[in-house]
Amino acid sequence: MKQDRYATMKKTILACMILVPVIPFILVLGVGYYYFTTSLESSTISSMKRIIEDHRQMIDSFLRERKADLEFILNSYSYDTLADPERLSDILTQLQKKSSAFVDLGLFNEDGIHVNYSGPYQLAGMDYGQEDWFKQVVKEGYYISDIFMGFRMLPHFIIAVTRADAEGKRVLRATIDTHTFSGLVKKVSIGKTGEGYILNAEGVFQTERRSGGNLMDTDPDNLRHDPDEPGTKTFTQKDLRGEDSFFATTWMQEKKWLLVVRQEKADVFRDLRSAAYIIALIAVIGGGAIIVIAFYLTHRIVRRMEEMDSEKDRLGEQLIQAGRLAELGEMAAGFAHEINNPLQIMKSEQTLIQTILSDLKEKGRIEESEDLAELEDSVRQITLQTDRCAEITRSILRFGRQGESEAKDVSLQTFIPEVVAMIEKKAGVHGIRIEQELARDAPPVYVDSTQLQQVLLNLFNNAIDATIDKHGVEGGEISVEAARSDDGKVKITVQDNGCGISSESLDKIFSPFFTTKPVGKGTGLGLSICYGIVGNMGGIMEVSSEQGIGTAMTIRLPPSG
Amino acid sequence: MEKMTIMLVDDEERFLSTTKKLLSRKGIDLLTALSGAEALERLGFHDIHVVILDVKMPGMDGMTTLREIKRQYPLTEVIMLTGHATVESAVEGLKSGATDYLMKPADIEELLEKAEEAFEKRKRLEEKIRVAQTRLSMKSPREILRETE
Repeated sequence: MKQDRYATMKKTILACMILVPVIPFILVLGVGYYYFTTSLESSTISSMKRIIEDHRQMIDSFLRERKADLEFILNSYSYDTLADPERLSDILTQLQKKSSAFVDLGLFNEDGIHVNYSGPYQLAGMDYGQEDWFKQVVKEGYYISDIFMGFRMLPHFIIAVTRADAEGKRVLRATIDTHTFSGLVKKVSIGKTGEGYILNAEGVFQTERRSGGNLMDTDPDNLRHDPDEPGTKTFTQKDLRGEDSFFATTWMQEKKWLLVVRQEKADVFRDLRSAAYIIALIAVIGGGAIIVIAFYLTHRIVRRMEEMDSEKDRLGEQLIQAGRLAELGEMAAGFAHEINNPLQIMKSEQTLIQTILSDLKEKGRIEESEDLAELEDSVRQITLQTDRCAEITRSILRFGRQGESEAKDVSLQTFIPEVVAMIEKKAGVHGIRIEQELARDAPPVYVDSTQLQQVLLNLFNNAIDATIDKHGVEGGEISVEAARSDDGKVKITVQDNGCGISSESLDKIFSPFFTTKPVGKGTGLGLSICYGIVGNMGGIMEVSSEQGIGTAMTIRLPPSG
Repeated sequence: MEKMTIMLVDDEERFLSTTKKLLSRKGIDLLTALSGAEALERLGFHDIHVVILDVKMPGMDGMTTLREIKRQYPLTEVIMLTGHATVESAVEGLKSGATDYLMKPADIEELLEKAEEAFEKRKRLEEKIRVAQTRLSMKSPREILRETE
């Protein structure tokens, strides 16, 4: 029942001690992780946005400049100049000095015949009249192609511009080095996996992708960015390998090309992840520590409570015992008082009988005889027994009411030797050695010295009787100790190596009329009187004994002051 | 010499009669009373030197009776007879004017001894009173002279 209660209490305390710190701990970790992730994500996305904007402008201006270069040449030189292979070669050299992206330069007449060409291939004289780009450039005035294979069977792209004047319509076309162009977006590098690349409207790579994807391959990620949607779009999507990635995309070059910047999520959160590992480690260690401490403290608390409860029970029992003793004392006192009246009458009667008997003898009206002697003996016996009754009632009354006492400071270091001196002779006769151990720091007590003397004498006499019982006239030992006890009280212990007290007697030792001595030898009031006296002094009296080994009687008194 | 008269006050009839018998054998006259009221009444008729008074009685108790006796007959010596072997009640009695106290059960000899001590005390007291009164009635010649002036 009680154990159940402690088990329940233990569980409750344990649960509280673990949950109370652990719940906020986990909440802090969770909230921190969430906000940190969110802010890291938004800062990553905004930096991607910035990068993509920068690169879009850079690429747009690159294309615009190359187109302007061609337009400048077309406007500056006459058809004949451009048709001269040597001059065209010179112009290309000049052009390549300005931008290494130019691979070749070619002039077409209005029918699409490749009139003049300067570059690494042999393309002069070929007819481009039916090519899409040629139709476009004639129609629009300029044209920038996607990457294509063309006649030379190599991926490349071209920029072409047209001019029409009195000399007729002509088209100037330049091939752009795909490596130089790719380099513009390949420079994009964020973290470990961050990269940039360009797709055309059909999702075909216009630049190489670092994480795999050759020119003119189709992008396996199948990105969706509605050309009608303006500006930069950011989104998260799983790539082909199943890795979550952040994407930023924007249309450029009249929505023919899509610029993509991509970074794997795992890469973005790499630092956070290593932080998370450390945090998890701390959480595990911290949580473990909390649990261990909670177990330890709970154990301590419950143990302490158990101790306190048992202490309380013990005190309760002592209180009941003390109450019972007090009640018994009152009852005994009343009883003794009432007995005194009949005793008085008996005494008077007995005196009368004796008086009459001696009168009769004197007057010679009664002869000396055996019967008379017996009668006189009987009367004497009545006297004796009445006196014994009177002695008992007096003892009871002394026990019941201690009467006035005069308390004063009593120094045990001088007082105990005085008491010991009183019984030393009696002890010596029976071969009992008395040892005194009086601690110098034992404080004085504020009591009536006569009462304390009565108590100590009683204890000594009991001890002497007990040692005589066990050892006869040799080998008895009694020790008296006085010291300051741990609870601040003054402890006086009288210990003997006598016959000891049986455990069933031990319970009744302080009860009035309880005695183990033969009939007529003791009233059974000595210790109960001592108990009452010590109680009145504000102290307590305890006994511990083992049968056949000895007895220790301990008095605990409050120190004076 | 004046003969001592004692009165024993106790609620136990048998105690009274037995003690009376015992004392009469010793040639001492003992008056008895069963209660405080009776004791006071008898004190009015007799010149009693010593009263032995039980503390615990039904009706008027010993202490009240003691105070009443001392008030009405201050010269009467009172010995308290107490069943309580405590100093407390004895002290209280002594404070209220009792001469001495006895504890029950008391020996008749002891009782007589205390009674006689009390009687001696009373006699001494009476002597002093007599001397004082004599002095008062025997005026000095100077006083007589002064009175005649």
